[in-house]
Amino acid sequence: MFHRLSVSLLATVAISGTAFAQDVAQSGSQMYTDAEAALQQRLGETPNTHRARNVILFIGDGNGVASNYMNRLWAGQQAGGLGDDYVQPQEAFPELALVKTYNINAQTPDSAPTAGSMNTGVKQRFNLINLGENAITEDCTTEADNALTLFSELVTDAGKSVGIATTARLTHATPAAVYAKTAYRNWEGDVPAECTNSKDIATQLIDAMEAGTVDVALGGGARYFVPKGVETPNGGSGRRENDVNLIERAQADGIQVVADMAGLAAAGTDAPILGLWSDSHASYEADRPESEPSLADMTQKAIEVLSQNENGFYLEVEAGRIDHANHATNAKRAMIDGKAFADAIALADEMTDDADTLIIVTADHEHAIAMNGYCGRGTPIDGLCYDVANEGIMHADEPVLASDGKPYTVVGYLNGASSVMIEQADGTYTAPEGRPEITQDEAQDLDYTQQVLIPKSSESHSGVDVALYAKGPWAHLFDGTIEQNYIFHVMNYAVNNGE
Amino acid sequence: MLTRRVFLVGTSALVGACALPWQASRAAEAPIKLRELYNKDRSFSDLALANEGRRITVEGYMAPPLKADARFFVLTKMPMATCPFCEPGVEWPRTILPVYTRRTVDVVPFNVPITATGTLDLGEFTDPDTGFWSKVRLGNARYERT
Repeated sequence: MFHRLSVSLLATVAISGTAFAQDVAQSGSQMYTDAEAALQQRLGETPNTHRARNVILFIGDGNGVASNYMNRLWAGQQAGGLGDDYVQPQEAFPELALVKTYNINAQTPDSAPTAGSMNTGVKQRFNLINLGENAITEDCTTEADNALTLFSELVTDAGKSVGIATTARLTHATPAAVYAKTAYRNWEGDVPAECTNSKDIATQLIDAMEAGTVDVALGGGARYFVPKGVETPNGGSGRRENDVNLIERAQADGIQVVADMAGLAAAGTDAPILGLWSDSHASYEADRPESEPSLADMTQKAIEVLSQNENGFYLEVEAGRIDHANHATNAKRAMIDGKAFADAIALADEMTDDADTLIIVTADHEHAIAMNGYCGRGTPIDGLCYDVANEGIMHADEPVLASDGKPYTVVGYLNGASSVMIEQADGTYTAPEGRPEITQDEAQDLDYTQQVLIPKSSESHSGVDVALYAKGPWAHLFDGTIEQNYIFHVMNYAVNNGE
Repeated sequence: MLTRRVFLVGTSALVGACALPWQASRAAEAPIKLRELYNKDRSFSDLALANEGRRITVEGYMAPPLKADARFFVLTKMPMATCPFCEPGVEWPRTILPVYTRRTVDVVPFNVPITATGTLDLGEFTDPDTGFWSKVRLGNARYERT
């Protein structure tokens, strides 16, 4: 008995203390020593309680835990590795939380109230932006009494600058949450005729830039700044029903309006910048011409301009098109945009100091996306699921077959337009020929849309928690499972407290 | 490596404007992807320019038709249950291709892959019947499930 107890105690000491690591059979494994090194690093960390001069909020739209996993493997495999051991820049941040994303009246959230909750500190109702809980979606009479105070307004009062960078339209839900208050997220260029006291979202952006609550706004969506029939800076046509040309108004007010990479590069740091690269959303990264700034290009310029303010800044950066590619069940474009998102995060981290800049990386919501199995290591994340090999590390040469004898992709969605269910002449949906047979070449094509079950015109969000990664002042306040609106409270605390 | 694009462009350059029957049929045998008609700056690709006026085969999906008994449908590069671009007056997307067919369209469900073979026509055109404005289209076309 005594002998057995002694052995047990020795084993416990050996496992818990590195001094005895040599007594553990696997202690020579690199996996073991890497994990020990990670532990030692965490033991040496102390909370950063400095006052945050800057706050950068990165939002990967629709980039939930599953989508983030997909991005990780894509980036890692593009770098020549197996993918799953790759570390995206945000994944090296010290703090992590899971975020509950539901809206006041929606178990499955939409991007307007989720971004609004991060910018105001309270959850909001489906499809509206920055209005209190008694507001009604699409009822403009409820706007005035429910207008919320924005983080951009608070930090502007504190003397900071504010910026937005997005690959979506600047009037789209997530960027709009920085500056707009509206009963309906789709009122991007016009409001209903009876809403005489309301302003469309584009007008609210120019108002905010004139007021100084937004200093840099970079993204797509020029069509909502130009009247119908009038050419946009990108060669398209305006969509505004009223005759106010907001671009001319901005220019008259001294705002630099730029339309491409050359214009962005030439823009000075001494005046506000409005960058509009496209009439609607900016390009997917996979389709982006060199003349159009990437998300990293936008982030770099925004930080260069905003950091001129010695009082600091708040910058919201959105990778908007991860969401759009997921809606299209086009996983490949989503993961390519996910890599562009990671590149922007890495650049922002390099350009700022952890001592005074709180960087938060999160998503607004998850999608109805999941990964199939069981795939061997190194299986291309953008292709078919290849079997696990019994010897070695790499996957087997043959794809895993489903019960119907056909292969399937790693990435899957639950619903969407690429359903395997086909509409029949009588309006019913069925799959009389079963699932389509797919080859690896087809699955890895840029335009491939994953096989899904439930037919819908557009794949949906889901209510599953998303991750939040953080570093910098007060980042340690992000821990455990949090409500999405709590993000605002940490940001607001961080800019107002500490040495 | 000889890619399909290089092959088609090279072949087209050899024969110039006088397409030979075998050349046209060769092009029709190799379906191209919608995105191959464009450069990233939204201009027409060399492949598109080389095949202007020739019959090509493009793979994609049939968006729900604009009206019954039409001889026209929109080919989309991905399945689209509704076609937000299939209306007049919107900026031209690179994700669709109007197809004018020889016969009345027999609707194929929006998520069933098809190929459309027709004469590639480049340049702006407003359909007098539908008001549909396009920058590129297939004419005298047929289509089939793949």
